[in-house]
Amino acid sequence: MMKWVLFIPELYYVLMAAIFFALSVQRKVESKRLYSIAVVLSGVGVLVAVLCARLEGMVFFDAYRVDLFSQVFKLLLAIGTFWVVLTCSELESIDPRQHAEFFMFMFICTLGMMMLVSSVELLTIYVSVELSSYCLYLLVAMRRKADMFAETAIKYFMIGAAASGFMVFGISYLFGVAQTTYVADLIKVLPGMLDQPAAIVGLVLALSGFFFKQALFPFHIWAPDVYQGASNQVTTYIATASKMAAAALVIRFVGFSGGESALFIKLLVVLSVLSMTFGNLVALIQKDIKRLLAYSSIAHAGYMMIGILSMSQRGYASAIYYAIAYLIMNFACFMVILKIADDGHNLQIKELAGLHKRSPLMAMTLMLGLFGLAGIPPTVGFTGKFLVFAAALEKGYLTLVIIGMINATISLYYYLIVIKAAYLLEPVRPYPPVMVDRWTQSLAIFLVLAMVYVGVFPDQFVALTEAAARSLLV
Amino acid sequence: MTYMEMAHFPILTAILMSTVLGLIVIMFIPADRDKLVKQVSLFFSGVGLILCLWLYHAYDVQKGGLQFVERTLWVKGLGIYWFLAVDGINLPMLLLTSVVLFTGVLTMWELENRVKEFFAFTFLLVAGVYGVFMSMDLFWIFVWYDVSLFPMYPLIAIWGGTRKEYGGMKLTLYLLAGSVLILPAIIYLWAQGGGVTFDIFELQRMGFAPQVQNIAFLMLYLGFGVLAGVWPFHTWSPVGHVAAPTAVSMIHAGVLMKLGAYGILRLGMTLCPDGLVYWADLMALLATIGIVYGAFVGLAQTDLKYVIGYSSVSHMGIVGLGLSTMTVNGINGAVFQMFAHGVMTALFFSAVGYIYDKTHTKMIPELGGLSRTMPIASAFFIIAAFAGIGVPCMASFWAELLVFVSAVQTYPVRGTFAVLGLVVSALFMLRVVQKTFYGEKNEKWAHIPDVPMYLASPRIILVGVILFFGLFPRIILDVIQSAVIPFVSSL
Repeated sequence: MMKWVLFIPELYYVLMAAIFFALSVQRKVESKRLYSIAVVLSGVGVLVAVLCARLEGMVFFDAYRVDLFSQVFKLLLAIGTFWVVLTCSELESIDPRQHAEFFMFMFICTLGMMMLVSSVELLTIYVSVELSSYCLYLLVAMRRKADMFAETAIKYFMIGAAASGFMVFGISYLFGVAQTTYVADLIKVLPGMLDQPAAIVGLVLALSGFFFKQALFPFHIWAPDVYQGASNQVTTYIATASKMAAAALVIRFVGFSGGESALFIKLLVVLSVLSMTFGNLVALIQKDIKRLLAYSSIAHAGYMMIGILSMSQRGYASAIYYAIAYLIMNFACFMVILKIADDGHNLQIKELAGLHKRSPLMAMTLMLGLFGLAGIPPTVGFTGKFLVFAAALEKGYLTLVIIGMINATISLYYYLIVIKAAYLLEPVRPYPPVMVDRWTQSLAIFLVLAMVYVGVFPDQFVALTEAAARSLLV
Repeated sequence: MTYMEMAHFPILTAILMSTVLGLIVIMFIPADRDKLVKQVSLFFSGVGLILCLWLYHAYDVQKGGLQFVERTLWVKGLGIYWFLAVDGINLPMLLLTSVVLFTGVLTMWELENRVKEFFAFTFLLVAGVYGVFMSMDLFWIFVWYDVSLFPMYPLIAIWGGTRKEYGGMKLTLYLLAGSVLILPAIIYLWAQGGGVTFDIFELQRMGFAPQVQNIAFLMLYLGFGVLAGVWPFHTWSPVGHVAAPTAVSMIHAGVLMKLGAYGILRLGMTLCPDGLVYWADLMALLATIGIVYGAFVGLAQTDLKYVIGYSSVSHMGIVGLGLSTMTVNGINGAVFQMFAHGVMTALFFSAVGYIYDKTHTKMIPELGGLSRTMPIASAFFIIAAFAGIGVPCMASFWAELLVFVSAVQTYPVRGTFAVLGLVVSALFMLRVVQKTFYGEKNEKWAHIPDVPMYLASPRIILVGVILFFGLFPRIILDVIQSAVIPFVSSL
């Protein structure tokens, strides 16, 4: 019976979803109240995740593993969800009658992703992926003016379904080759089998399903449209919390192969390079800031892959650190977008003009977030890139690292264009002042401090991620 | 080498904090209190200057080596240290930085547009510069290096002049493209050293295989070379200098470009001596081309700031040439030249800044005969021009002499060309002086008052520094030598 303790964070999110289900049936509660309930509940969720951070053990016939790696990511998911909920004070782009469902699906999605980071059995992984994906399909479709954005939701669903198909197909191959769906057993037999085409095909197909979640090239096509088409809050959720789950999944799954196969690593190198280069080059010409960040997220999936494909403890640790960094920086950028476009429209870069006068705090948060994404010290983004590159160079991938740095320079150009808009351009027409409430203000200050602190004093965080990576390899 | 870990007052951290603290204080001042922002900036830059002067005085030349060492473990997993120290090479650089910052703040005393942000970015930039010069850990050197680069973009793009957005973007992307090579090179050396330490001197003691050194040196040389204005990577420099506001030009040409040369010396040459031997030929060649090219292109310019920009390319070539000789005199001269050129260019830009503020033009044909309307303001520029040519009694005279003597010995043909390049640069400097300050008096500027005392003070300080080290070169050469002699003998 004590084993259920291990499942507490997930159970808590089940409870939250149930509460919002009840509220959605009633349809009597005001949006404002729903918002405060959601904030409190998800805030407690972070607390629960923190309290459960040190748990370890196996449940559900060893298909579900609770270790430091999974708990770190659960904490990140809880934080990401909490932050997104905090920004939902004006849900202008969602029908007020659907607000309760909106929160319910978001919490179920978080639940699915929390299960995902703990799953160590292929079918459990599949079920968790689908649980979170279906919620996301619905959240994307919830935006008002459904006729304009219906295409996005359908596209996302179709591509997502196809990716799931690939994943199941790959899993079936893996089962055929290895006669097991347990990851722990797969690790033992798979490295010896990677010379068999069926094993490589299975692994690659299964991974392509995960790469789809992470939006790694060439599985990225959904990202720009979904980022643009979904309401700003949902985009924020997809870009921050759901990216954490995808990263955790890819780290865990790539770790299975053990780095024995040169062919497999070469494949990952190619994907990483293509993803970085493609994402950054296309981002150069974007006008819509959410689209720009979508392409930048494709590039960042590539950077993270550099750490993962190093196949060393330090490599996985650096990828986890990068995930933390990415969560903070990307959320900082999205929060600013949410607050400027508080009526829920898609923000164009030129609308940022004169932001430094309209709201100096928001302008600074945006600048630091973008500099972080570009990898400029002393922000957390730089330290993340540094760790990732260090892991890769330990394995001797000098060319890969130089390509990564060239990409970082290219990306700086489009980030600078956004910063230029915020700090230099004079607005062509008077934009409404940016309303920043106290919550947002303190969150912005917290994010700014976090970006600098985690970047400049990385010691404890590096130690934490290394411990998490160790627990991954045991 | 034994380290006295934190046994004394952490003066280097204090110098660094004088800018960081200044930055924080400025950020909390209300945006409309311009005067207060300037006073606070002056105070904190003054504190930095006093601390640097004290440091220079307290450095024990007889003992040499690393002094005022502060060293604590920063990130255990990777072997990153908070490791600050001074020796004969970075001590003059720290002094230079503090002088240029102090005079830069004074030069911008009349700034009116977005004052608070300007000084905040400037202090951030200078914090980066101090950090690079005093850090002895590869990680921190890179962090501070990048910190010193990115404020350049807003500084140029917001407060700049001619084609500011283009100049700012070009400069930022060029300089960060340089770090594309530096960061991999740093981590590459760390990984080759077993992945346990970023401490420069521990890595130096490990020694690297010649092949590793050849790769790493080339990457470091090209990466830092962009910032040092090495031909053919210099094209950002004249454009950036022209676009930048006065104090930023001063700090940028006076101090930032030195970061590049310093990086080549501190990282490239210290960690990869074999790589240096392998690539010294190329270094000397590019440096010589830079000297001659800068002088000839400078001859054709009509914009005062472009003239200074190209003369900077030429003068930084002299630094590169000195480093590539690998002799005591050559490196001595190169470090001295870094200092002398820094002060001199700051004076140049400061002088042009005043003229531009009053006449709103820096085109040579539109000026003319200025020495009759504003003799004092003109004198500053003319003194800087003499310093640029290398007239005796000026600091740069000794620096250039040392470099050329050893260059002609080591690379006879290139050395000769470089000396000839200097003659051309003398020609173009004198031409500029003649056209701008003498000749036909332009009545348009007759009403402009000469520079008042309180605005002239930064230039007076800079002239004082140039003359002082021109008359007493031993004061700085002894310090530099205390580091260069052991360095050259270890090559």
